[in-house]
Amino acid sequence: MIGLLLFFAVKYRARKGGPPASKGPESVWVVLAVVLIMGSVLAAAGYQSFASATNIEIPAASNSVTITVTGFQWGWNFTYPNGHFAIDNLTVPAGRDIILNVTSKDVYHEFGIPMLAVKEDVVPGKVNQLWFEVPDPGVYVDAIHCFQLCGVGHAFMIANLTVVSQASWDSWMSSK
Amino acid sequence: MIQMGAASWLRRWLTTTNHKDVGLLYLFTSLYFGMAGGALALLMRVQLTVPNNNFLSALYYDQAVTMHGLIMILWFLSPLAVAFFNYLVPLQIGAKDLAFPRLNALSYWFFLSGGILAVTSFFVPGGAAASGWTTYQPLSSPSFQPGPGPTLVYVGLLLLAVSVTLGSVNIITSILWMRTRGMSFSKLPMFTWFALFTTGAMLYAFPTLIAAFALNVSDRLLGTAFFTSPALLSVPGIDPSILWDNLFWFFGHPEVYIVLLPAFGVIANIIPSFTGRPIAGRNWIIISTALVVLPLSFGVWMHHMFLTGIPLSLQESFDVSTEAISIPFGIIIISFILSLVRGRIEFKTPFLFVIGAVVLFIVGGIMGVFLSSPVLDRQFNGSYFVVSHFHYVMVGATIFGLIAAIYYWLPRMTGRMYSESLGRAHFLISFIGFNVLYGPMSLLSDMPRRVFTYPNTGDLGVVNEIATAGAFIFVFAQVLLAYNVVHTWFRGPASGPNPWGSSGLEWTTDAAERTPAADTEAPPRGGWIGQLASSVTAPTQEVAQDPSHGHGLHTSTRPFTLGLGATVFFLGAPFYPSMSGLALMVIGGAVVLYTLFSWARDDLGERFSVPDEGEERYPFSALPKVKLGMWVFLSSEVIFFGSLIAAYLFIREAVVGWPVASSIHDVPLGTANTLVLLTSGFTMAMAILSIRKGNQRALLLWLATTFSLGAVFMGVKISEWSNLASAGFTITSPTPMYQLAASAYYFLVGLHGAHVTAGLIIMLYLMKKTLSGAYTKDSHGAIENFGLYWAFVDIVWCFIFPLFYLL
Repeated sequence: MIGLLLFFAVKYRARKGGPPASKGPESVWVVLAVVLIMGSVLAAAGYQSFASATNIEIPAASNSVTITVTGFQWGWNFTYPNGHFAIDNLTVPAGRDIILNVTSKDVYHEFGIPMLAVKEDVVPGKVNQLWFEVPDPGVYVDAIHCFQLCGVGHAFMIANLTVVSQASWDSWMSSK
Repeated sequence: MIQMGAASWLRRWLTTTNHKDVGLLYLFTSLYFGMAGGALALLMRVQLTVPNNNFLSALYYDQAVTMHGLIMILWFLSPLAVAFFNYLVPLQIGAKDLAFPRLNALSYWFFLSGGILAVTSFFVPGGAAASGWTTYQPLSSPSFQPGPGPTLVYVGLLLLAVSVTLGSVNIITSILWMRTRGMSFSKLPMFTWFALFTTGAMLYAFPTLIAAFALNVSDRLLGTAFFTSPALLSVPGIDPSILWDNLFWFFGHPEVYIVLLPAFGVIANIIPSFTGRPIAGRNWIIISTALVVLPLSFGVWMHHMFLTGIPLSLQESFDVSTEAISIPFGIIIISFILSLVRGRIEFKTPFLFVIGAVVLFIVGGIMGVFLSSPVLDRQFNGSYFVVSHFHYVMVGATIFGLIAAIYYWLPRMTGRMYSESLGRAHFLISFIGFNVLYGPMSLLSDMPRRVFTYPNTGDLGVVNEIATAGAFIFVFAQVLLAYNVVHTWFRGPASGPNPWGSSGLEWTTDAAERTPAADTEAPPRGGWIGQLASSVTAPTQEVAQDPSHGHGLHTSTRPFTLGLGATVFFLGAPFYPSMSGLALMVIGGAVVLYTLFSWARDDLGERFSVPDEGEERYPFSALPKVKLGMWVFLSSEVIFFGSLIAAYLFIREAVVGWPVASSIHDVPLGTANTLVLLTSGFTMAMAILSIRKGNQRALLLWLATTFSLGAVFMGVKISEWSNLASAGFTITSPTPMYQLAASAYYFLVGLHGAHVTAGLIIMLYLMKKTLSGAYTKDSHGAIENFGLYWAFVDIVWCFIFPLFYLL
């Protein structure tokens, strides 16, 4: 569209001895064509969007790990099924569906892991859910950020994501 | 005219009600706020140039980011557009002035008052608001953001919103009612069409903003507990944040179009001057905007809330509505592009900015379609991709479009031509600077917005450095614009009456004048008001016809003093109950009351001359002007009360264990009082019927009855409140649920009471005027208009009563 705009602008620029401006009526059917073309492009995009939207839905609980995330001014508290908790470091097993229940202790935050393209609002008085899966173990430094202005510590609401093997996860979970 | 002293110069600008003068006031004030907002942006860019920078502290950065957003959107972009609405709409439709000139001046002074309050907040202890222009809750509540600064910003915003509402009523009524002979809708210039669209959207979007910020300010000043009470945060299911999100974005998304549409109006209006062809698809543009963009803009707000935990089905339906709204924009853009075909294009500065605006809108718009997808939102939300997107639309499309307007209409305002070479340089440098600034930002979808600094990872530092360089290039370009405008204003060569060969009425009417109010001579002794008062002859209805004066000769000090009083009052309010705060409130309040009283006296004495009526009034030929204005205003009030009632229902819906109504309220008394108010609606109707038959005595009698019933209603209300308060039903109740219920009750019922009280005061005025014999069978518009208002107040109570007393 930008190309078309510039092409017409240059093609019909005023030149000495060039043709005078036409006063003819514009062709109405062009507008209809635009609606059709845009409509079908958007329908395709919409279909893609809808088809992928199921990815947002939280998977069934079997074989998944549920961790509670509480945002506060200014940090993240991760509480695990065995009652352990950690501040600003999220540890998960590799290759399993991780479900996070996120909520806030004080103000509105937004929990996001950009490298996994997941994000959810962290709202006081409300528990929201998101899920992801990481195939490979490793320590992903600064992988977690807050994406909603939450006060002067907003820039420092950063946490690490530690992905461990199933075996070390199991031993950590059974430890006290 | 030649020698005007400083005093008369000042008097002209403080008392003017001329639409061109007010337009210029808007123009320069909004450009000033634009510079202030731009300075804040530069501070932020300097801070972000390198990782781990400490040029600004986190608090200062948060204040800058918040105030930059508020100032740019509400005190720069929209008012800059309103400047052109003011200046051009009456000229384009061939009217002598806007429909309500004093109201117009009042809109300006409230806009300035609000801006002064907002900017003053930087200089009070604790500083300005720092929770983002979106003012998310509960971060913006007094629990997390105490201090007078944010309160000043929010009351300033309320004043601004009132100004916008009054201005919208004015411009809509003018366009519908004040057109000159032959100016039918089919001939209406495109800029005026878009002024109508924009003010229409303003009229229905801003009431929700007023409602949201009224609740917020009520929390901060009166101690209600809509967003604040820490006790409430512990009650499961109460999420005031989501209530705020809904209220704010129901306003916020239409606001995007409110900012954008004036620029489209400019583009559609001025393209023909540079192509020699009419705009292609004129009717398509009008139809798509009126029937698709405007209604749909109120149905897309939840795409700002995909991550708040709303159901997937809701996310998908807002995905669809958001994608759908891009189709009319596609039509509009294609029409702009096709308008160039077979033309004879002159690449003058305004046209360059038009091309720039369309190109940048296409880029920004496509990024917007990405954001409509709930899945992609998981990637982009809250990141610099979003920052890049809305700056492409708001700076790229809107500011480039409005700059085109400045260049294009500058010769109309000054009679002088700007420097073309400087204008082209301005365009080139702006366009390059803009893309160097916002292009790289679109790559930063991993970087959160509104962070005051960031760690040194990857190429974050490099990209931010480039963006900052772009910011300085862009700002340098705007210095060229400022120089060009100032130079043209004083030294530019004569432009001739119609430099673009346009057929627009604004170029063909009194084009010879050099400055907009050249007809403002030094005022005579006693001012214009005194002179006009003697020359007004037999006013018919509300319209005092005075053929002897041209436009621009009526002035009034009232709008200015009302704005001044409001500023002083609200400057004091956040400092209450300190002595200085109280003193400011008393002084400001006294000025406001005195001004209102004097304004009424002006009207009793017919001291202000109202502009002539238009001749083309289809489809409102049968409706008097003020009545049309009243209808337009009340339709906006419907949204206001609607938003508040919706907010109340939202809270009630969320809460388990809301106190049973009959356990708190005296239902029989409330029912009796409701009957009293409804009876007053009947007696008001009798008052109107009496004067329609010309019976002044009966009018007075029925008005007095209505007044008495209204007074009884208010009396009963006040005694109810004192009983409730002594029974412990207060906003400071130790039980969270009672605290919330009391907040909702006192706020909504109190607001209705304020409307009733205002009605009582107006009735006193009407009775006084009836006594002087002002109303006759053929001239009693004020009575009819008040009847509408009173009926509205009754109807609102019919909603409030069952919701609080019966459910």
